[in-house]
Amino acid sequence: MSTHLQVSQGDRHRTPLMSVAGYAAMIVVVLVIAVPLFWILITSFKERQDIYVRPAQYWPSPATTDNYRDTVTSIPFPAYFRNSLIITALLAAAKITLGVLSAYALSLLRFPGRNLVFLVVIAALMVPNQITVISNYALIAQLGWRNTFQGIVIPLAGVAFGTFLMRNQFLSLPGEIIEAARLDGAGPMKLLWRVVMPMSWPTLVAFSLITVVNEWNEYLWPFLMSDNEKTAPLQVGLTLLQNNEGGNNWGPVMAGTVLTVLPILILFLFLQRQMIKGLTAGAVKS
Amino acid sequence: MNDLTRRGFLGLAGAAGVAAGLAACAGSGSSPTSSAGGGGPIQFWSNHPGTSKDTETKIIEAFQKANPGFTVSLIDGGKNYEEVAQKFNAALAGGQLPDVIVASDVTWFNFALNKQLAPLDDLLAAAGLKTDDYVDALYNDYTFNGKHYALPFARSTPLFYYNKAIWSAAGLPDRGPATWAEFKEWAPKLAAVVGADKVPLQMADGSNYLDWYFQNMAWSMGGQLSKEWTATASDPKTVAAGTFLQELAKNKWVKFSKSPDAEFSAGIAACALQSTGTLGGITKNAKFDFGTAFLPGDGACPTGGAGVAIPAGLSDERKKNAVKFIEYLTNVESTVTFTQATGYMPVRKSALNNDAEKAFLEKNPRAKVAVQQLAKTRSQDNARVLVPGGGARIGKALDQIVQGQDVATVFAALDKETQAAIDSQIKPKL
Repeated sequence: MSTHLQVSQGDRHRTPLMSVAGYAAMIVVVLVIAVPLFWILITSFKERQDIYVRPAQYWPSPATTDNYRDTVTSIPFPAYFRNSLIITALLAAAKITLGVLSAYALSLLRFPGRNLVFLVVIAALMVPNQITVISNYALIAQLGWRNTFQGIVIPLAGVAFGTFLMRNQFLSLPGEIIEAARLDGAGPMKLLWRVVMPMSWPTLVAFSLITVVNEWNEYLWPFLMSDNEKTAPLQVGLTLLQNNEGGNNWGPVMAGTVLTVLPILILFLFLQRQMIKGLTAGAVKS
Repeated sequence: MNDLTRRGFLGLAGAAGVAAGLAACAGSGSSPTSSAGGGGPIQFWSNHPGTSKDTETKIIEAFQKANPGFTVSLIDGGKNYEEVAQKFNAALAGGQLPDVIVASDVTWFNFALNKQLAPLDDLLAAAGLKTDDYVDALYNDYTFNGKHYALPFARSTPLFYYNKAIWSAAGLPDRGPATWAEFKEWAPKLAAVVGADKVPLQMADGSNYLDWYFQNMAWSMGGQLSKEWTATASDPKTVAAGTFLQELAKNKWVKFSKSPDAEFSAGIAACALQSTGTLGGITKNAKFDFGTAFLPGDGACPTGGAGVAIPAGLSDERKKNAVKFIEYLTNVESTVTFTQATGYMPVRKSALNNDAEKAFLEKNPRAKVAVQQLAKTRSQDNARVLVPGGGARIGKALDQIVQGQDVATVFAALDKETQAAIDSQIKPKL
């Protein structure tokens, strides 16, 4: 997608200086993003004594997979991983469903007080998570929901961001198509599934991806809610590998980080293709 | 109120009921049911200091074996002391209190000040448990208004680490400097040996507990950050210590970083001040031979680390069980097991007569130095550990000094801030 754009524009007015600057900028950006990731990756394969050395080792020698074995065996890694999957799946499903339905209602259905409801939802977006933590904690603790998945998931399932994003997407759709569908006798649900959603895939995929990444990395709330590996996600589990008074053994920490990033990376690669497909499909249609 | 009708009364009662229900929904806290009652497992919230989860589990198993009928569940309280405090704060608001928490040298006092921790003296006396075997400086760290609010558990002190190869290349004796003045004499020799891209001494920066290590420098020169509840950083002797630190920095004899153990293990720094809790890590990370020594200055070593405390809101039954557990957790056998696995300090005087400990120290001369230094420790200044935000405030001031700002001015401003915090937040509650 982006390469297409560059080529078509560049053919017309690209000076050698500009293209050199462009490539230089591109390389800088790639380095800024890639070097820390590269460092995490090679550190996860280093032996402990090779981590802090000068001159630095740019390639692990000798390479070892001990760090990965340590990570998986020294903490109940599979349990944390399972919890992360459960929490992320439940939260993403809840947020996407709620986000799409509420945005649909707030953009394309007509009912009194619609704008007021939207304002309240947006106001909720402005309240930082950390502020509601104490009162949420009290509520959940009194319900006896600590150390349960519903205790972790339900307070986080509110979706002001999704509502906002999807509503704007729905409002940007051409009114004629919606009108035509209504004239053809499509009910509200049919309109949503057959007309509105197919035209909104790219936004929905982007929204889903952001949601999944956010929920996967959620730390504070699951940490407060869970006491052990029965419900705690991977992010909480990984802290067990750290030593709080310095002298960290970074190998296993980095190995754990790599293992935590992998699922999201795979999901990203897969969804990115969908996202591009959706974008081009939309472009052709309009 | 005489003409209150039956219907009116019912209406009011209903409204009150709804209001109460709503209040409960809003999570207003204060749920007495959750803190009352005995029985159930003892909930121990720990951040597993020094990656000690397995060791803690081992001690808990031994406790359960020695005390049939008791169960302890070990709960992940977070990655550091601050996170345990945060989780405990949430529990204080929301109910479901733990029975035992790990409280660090800087987090316990605020809870004690707000009457959220139980004073232990009576509980220990009622259980017939003695405290005179605890290392005095460590036990007395938790004193407030004449009562103790925690038992020492994962306690550490700073330690002087030095690279033996660089030491002998510089022609220095195989020991740490006896005073900071002696270090200043050594510094040019070390600088000449290590060259321009390395550094004689590495210390933590202001956001990573430089304030902890600086107490040693201040005390060894006769100064201190506070005397009881009076801020004394602008005392001429403390200012002299600040000026000394500034001079070291100006001559490039000291550099500051997030984790000095990294630079030291990489051989970039000839020596470093670091926690005893890092000894295990440095031993495994460093590829060269290194030594440990007492901090410069006699009897000027601050204590640090964490203790275990009991929330005040528990039923008497739960407190009784909890005190039994924390005493066991810090008894001679447990402290020996725990400290050998982590590098923290034994908190009992008689631990040094324990056979397992004697054998261990014989084999680990570096750890032996750390343990011997315990006798020369001193409880920290209130300005750092007891005044809210103290550590961060002092750390910031030290950062400014190191960057070259005038020491007397910075410390005068620091004193003003510290004193304001004491007067507004602590004095009213004393």
